[in-house]
Amino acid sequence: MVDLLISGIIYGSIITLGAIGLTLMSDILNFFNFAYGDFFTLGAFCTLAFIGFLPDLGTFSHLSFGWSMVIAIILSIGVTVLIMLFFDYLFFKRLRDLGVTSLFMSLASLGVSFVIRAIINIIWGPKVRYYSTTIQISKTLPFGIRMKPDEMVILLCAFILVFSIFYYLRQTKMGKAMRAVSDNKILAQASGIDNKHVIMWTWIISGVLAAVAGTFYGIQVQLSPTMGWNFLIPLFVAVIMGGVGSFWGALLGGMTIGIAEELITGLIQNTFTLMEIQANISVYKPAVAFVFVIIILLLKPYGILGKKKG
Amino acid sequence: MVNYISSYLVMACIYAIMALALNLQWGFTGLMNFGIGTFYMVGAYTSAILTSMPSSEHLGGFELPVVVGIIGAAGMAGVIAYLLSFPALKLRGGPFAIALLAIQETLFLVVKNESWLTNGVWGIRSIPRPFFGLVNPQHFVYFYLLIAAAVLILTYFAIEKAINSPWGRVLRGIREDEPLTSISGKDCFNYRVQSFVFSSMVMGIAGALYVHYTGFVSPQVFSPLMSTFIVWLMVMVGGTGNNKGVILGAFLVWAVWIGSDFLTDFVPASVATQIGFIRMFFVGAILGVMILMKPQGILMQKLLTIGLFREEETP
Repeated sequence: MVDLLISGIIYGSIITLGAIGLTLMSDILNFFNFAYGDFFTLGAFCTLAFIGFLPDLGTFSHLSFGWSMVIAIILSIGVTVLIMLFFDYLFFKRLRDLGVTSLFMSLASLGVSFVIRAIINIIWGPKVRYYSTTIQISKTLPFGIRMKPDEMVILLCAFILVFSIFYYLRQTKMGKAMRAVSDNKILAQASGIDNKHVIMWTWIISGVLAAVAGTFYGIQVQLSPTMGWNFLIPLFVAVIMGGVGSFWGALLGGMTIGIAEELITGLIQNTFTLMEIQANISVYKPAVAFVFVIIILLLKPYGILGKKKG
Repeated sequence: MVNYISSYLVMACIYAIMALALNLQWGFTGLMNFGIGTFYMVGAYTSAILTSMPSSEHLGGFELPVVVGIIGAAGMAGVIAYLLSFPALKLRGGPFAIALLAIQETLFLVVKNESWLTNGVWGIRSIPRPFFGLVNPQHFVYFYLLIAAAVLILTYFAIEKAINSPWGRVLRGIREDEPLTSISGKDCFNYRVQSFVFSSMVMGIAGALYVHYTGFVSPQVFSPLMSTFIVWLMVMVGGTGNNKGVILGAFLVWAVWIGSDFLTDFVPASVATQIGFIRMFFVGAILGVMILMKPQGILMQKLLTIGLFREEETP
């Protein structure tokens, strides 16, 4: 039970990172970006590539990675953001200039998602990969909590990142401009906020979050070219559940989905094992998120913390 | 060679039926359905279970006539669409697309893992092919082409008739301006449910046509790319809201897809193994470029769906 909760929290923190990026993007760019999951994969694979290029700098004690991972993540963030800005320049900027509706923008992002996934498949092949194959032993903490050292680092980094994004949105000039645009685009423009800059920074921040979340997912689970696409549904569910554009909503939605997927499937599996019923419930993990979003949207059509717009 | 072209035409007809059904949802009602593969899959499996030989590996094998299988496929797809419509059609735009995508992934998991129902990844064999015994097995494909083409033509005229009726005008009204349509006293939700269920039934028929052609069905055929997004590409190439266009789109896209098989003979082996991903790349790239360059489709008719494509200038 505690184990399930812990793995749910870690999974949830990775979803949260992605969901914050996605919620900002859905809100400010005003369309649902179906390519976001594949930017997430791209970030993870860029980290893998840079680790391959960098010399082996050893690993931190207790952890499965070392300085080369830290440098690789930073480089990977840079590359992911640049590629995202390139796709924005290639597709989305032109579509925005045409004044295309958000539905057609989403369709175009679907095309971009296929392009990126195909490129990743062609370069790295469809195999499952790992950053490190060393097996970690869980450490026992107070209250019967068992965690791997890697997981503690992921949780801590996710925590720091979420709060630095929060600080950014709250306190810096660009963060405030982003919130203003998300609130009311026309009023923000009338107040002299440069929309182009805001959109660029939205891509940059969601790119940073995608690359970091992708790498964490790779450390925690594994790397595969379809991981981002499969991750897209929990991400969107977290965003929709929390309410599009809501920072705390993304946090709440991400953690809820992560914990619920682990707990619900785990508990049903345990009950079935006790009742000696042969069934493999864990394969239905992705379905939990789907059932959740349907229930939430029936109760609160704009998400838990969302607000109706315009 | 003639055989090869005929088998291409059969699959193109089946995809064209799917594209027509999607066009009714997307082009005429404005429903962005990213889960059309669900109904294709439901139709395929329903018909397979109803008509195949009795088997201990999966549910049934009821040995019913093929016609009953096809009607059952349409009925089952319609029932599932009707049940899903109440939660899903409360949503619009992006969230609707996500919900349908999630439904497809979930049902795909069910079909793959519940082997008592569908025999899991091993699939269902011994699905009857209509009149297979009466004709020379080599000529079966010509015969089936007649059936598929007849269903396609029927579907085309049924959908054309439907969208030019008062019912279709309400759908287009919903697409362009839903609040205005409901002010005119139309129950928009009900109309959207009707459009959703009707086109899902057509997709179910397409699925049934597929299994009676191949005589075998397994979950691999219903990957999101092959059952959903390739149809989206066909509609975008043909032109949103243009029924003749999407049929042309289906035949063109499927021709390029099949034609790329021939290319594998001319390229080095290392490239040939990547052909699936290269196709995926082009599906994505063409989808993006079509929206950017020719949102009205290759037939270049005037864009019938202004409200879908371009946002009005906000004052």
